Amino acid sequence: MSEKPVVLSLDKATIQFGGLIAVNSVTFDLYKGDLFGLIGPNGAGKTTCFNLITGVYKPTSGSIKFNGKEVGGLAPAKIAEMGICRTFQNIRLFPALSVLENVVVGAYLRHKTSVYGAYTYLPPAINETESLKKDAMDLLEVMDLADMAGSRSADLPYGKQRRLEIARAMATKPDLILLDEPAAGMNPQEKEDLQATVRRIRDEFGKTVLLIEHDMRFVMGLCERIVVLDHGEEIAQGSPEAIRSDPKVIEAYLGEAV
Amino acid sequence: MKFWGVRGVSILAGLGFAFGLETMVSAGLPNIYRLVVLAGLFITLAVSLNLINGITGQFSIGHAAFYMVGAYSAGFVSNQFYAQQSLGPQLWLVVMMVFGAFMAGISGFVVGLPSLRLRGDYLAIVTLGFGEILRIVVQNIAPLGGAYGMNVKPFGSPPKAIWIVWTLAMVCIAVCRNLLRTAHGLPFLAVREDEVASSAMGVNVPKTKVTSFVIGSAFAGAAGALFALYDTFISPDTFKMDVSFIILTMVVLGGTGSITGSVLAAVALFAIPEWLRTLQDPVTKVAIQIPGPSLVATMLAVIVAVALVKLIQDRFYGDKGKKLGLYVGAVGAGVAVQFLLAALLKGVPQLAKLSFEAAALRMVIFSATLIILMLLRPQGILAHHEFSWAWVSKLFGRRPSEANA
Repeated sequence: MSEKPVVLSLDKATIQFGGLIAVNSVTFDLYKGDLFGLIGPNGAGKTTCFNLITGVYKPTSGSIKFNGKEVGGLAPAKIAEMGICRTFQNIRLFPALSVLENVVVGAYLRHKTSVYGAYTYLPPAINETESLKKDAMDLLEVMDLADMAGSRSADLPYGKQRRLEIARAMATKPDLILLDEPAAGMNPQEKEDLQATVRRIRDEFGKTVLLIEHDMRFVMGLCERIVVLDHGEEIAQGSPEAIRSDPKVIEAYLGEAV
Repeated sequence: MKFWGVRGVSILAGLGFAFGLETMVSAGLPNIYRLVVLAGLFITLAVSLNLINGITGQFSIGHAAFYMVGAYSAGFVSNQFYAQQSLGPQLWLVVMMVFGAFMAGISGFVVGLPSLRLRGDYLAIVTLGFGEILRIVVQNIAPLGGAYGMNVKPFGSPPKAIWIVWTLAMVCIAVCRNLLRTAHGLPFLAVREDEVASSAMGVNVPKTKVTSFVIGSAFAGAAGALFALYDTFISPDTFKMDVSFIILTMVVLGGTGSITGSVLAAVALFAIPEWLRTLQDPVTKVAIQIPGPSLVATMLAVIVAVALVKLIQDRFYGDKGKKLGLYVGAVGAGVAVQFLLAALLKGVPQLAKLSFEAAALRMVIFSATLIILMLLRPQGILAHHEFSWAWVSKLFGRRPSEANA
């Protein structure tokens, strides 16, 4: 379908919790530079799907390949190092740390100097700290958060906390970024800004984006391809236009009005 | 280079402070010498526990166990090998300190492992259990002296210990502070804040937790080794659970996560009971007696004053000057209540007959102080703040840029 390289490939990925099959044999491919949407009713297994990809859960069967390498069942930190980073549905910032520090935690993943230099406060560790801070500051600039760099992240308004989570994920320099309901709780203006930002992440930074979202206007206006889950099963896949008119999707999720 | 210049000066200043303290205190009473040594050890213990508890957020309440591992391993090895070595007492002290730190670091690694799977209360129970198990095991090992304790052979006169104890304390503070000043410290804080999010950001959570346990316990072990060699007698009773709790109290009271707070609280919590112990009438050298009525009146007055201050804190959001006035008023009200009640209660014959020795009340005063502090400032003395010159100048209302220049 496309000559762009495959970044992420789920092949019959399945996870079972006791008797419940939360994600059942889900198969889709993400190509480099995709803006890909994952939608479905509540409890459909979207976030579980994210948890499978990022290593929070180990798939019961099936495979998840990232850049050709199997990632299913690896530790989350290892997967982050390979280049997948995510945000969370219920915001999970480091509340007591400052906005800048939050982003530096992400940037720290790519650190090079030894920790022993940090215990003794030697120049390499100091210089690296400065450069990581500078990178983080640049990202805050992109996400329009630079003026709040010094405040505690818990003190930010909700919409900005969501943006900060994206900045933190971006700081790990991922190839693939997973956004779990990035627009939840935002007002229409913020949603519009976010759409532009996500596009910028793809166009300017060359990231591949996979996102979960309930706001259909947001998803349809942003994503180029969409997968629909229901009860852990994949019921449709395709362009926004195809999804909008798919009878199965209308029945399970969208309803007649859309 | 400017960096190394500043570096050299601060190291020299640290060493100078340690040796200065040594010479100053040696001139005084031996009793005071011992207290200064112990204070330095408790600073090390509190700051190292702060690394585990406050900075990495692993609720460990068995810190005395690492202290004990250091003390016993250094004491035992020193007994075996001191005669054969030719390093001299001071150097031997350093070698034993490193050895104690090493052994305690290993045990810290072992305790750190359950922390990979446990959180919060459950981890607390495991660390507490580990401490008790270790103590009871030592109590039943005959070569270590069992319940009678172990005499660590003194080498000549009691070794000069203040300089090395305080150097250890300063190294411990420096390591923690340095870690937090670089980006390398952030993963530790991130693990405390949210483990799931940190692992999603690529933080190696198990490694971070175990590292903090190993470093924290190694410092405690070094402190233990110095204690064993300085005090020349150690027994399992020295390392009971309540020592762990005192150290934990120092960390919490100082403000969880604040190194400066841990240091201040360690000194305060160590000094207050010691100072109360020595309360005597300066003229007659007899322990001060407190009559029953004043004691009861004081207790009630303290409750009144604390309640008032708490009320002001919770309800009143005025400017600072007004608030300070209200505090003074609340304390004044407490004093007034004390005088009034003391006069009234003198009329109660059963109470008037009683009198208490001030020194005997020291644990009461100690715990009352703790309760009051936790009521009025639950985030700890310094909360999450750290000492820095910029902070000091801000405290006095100047802009930090001026101070840095």
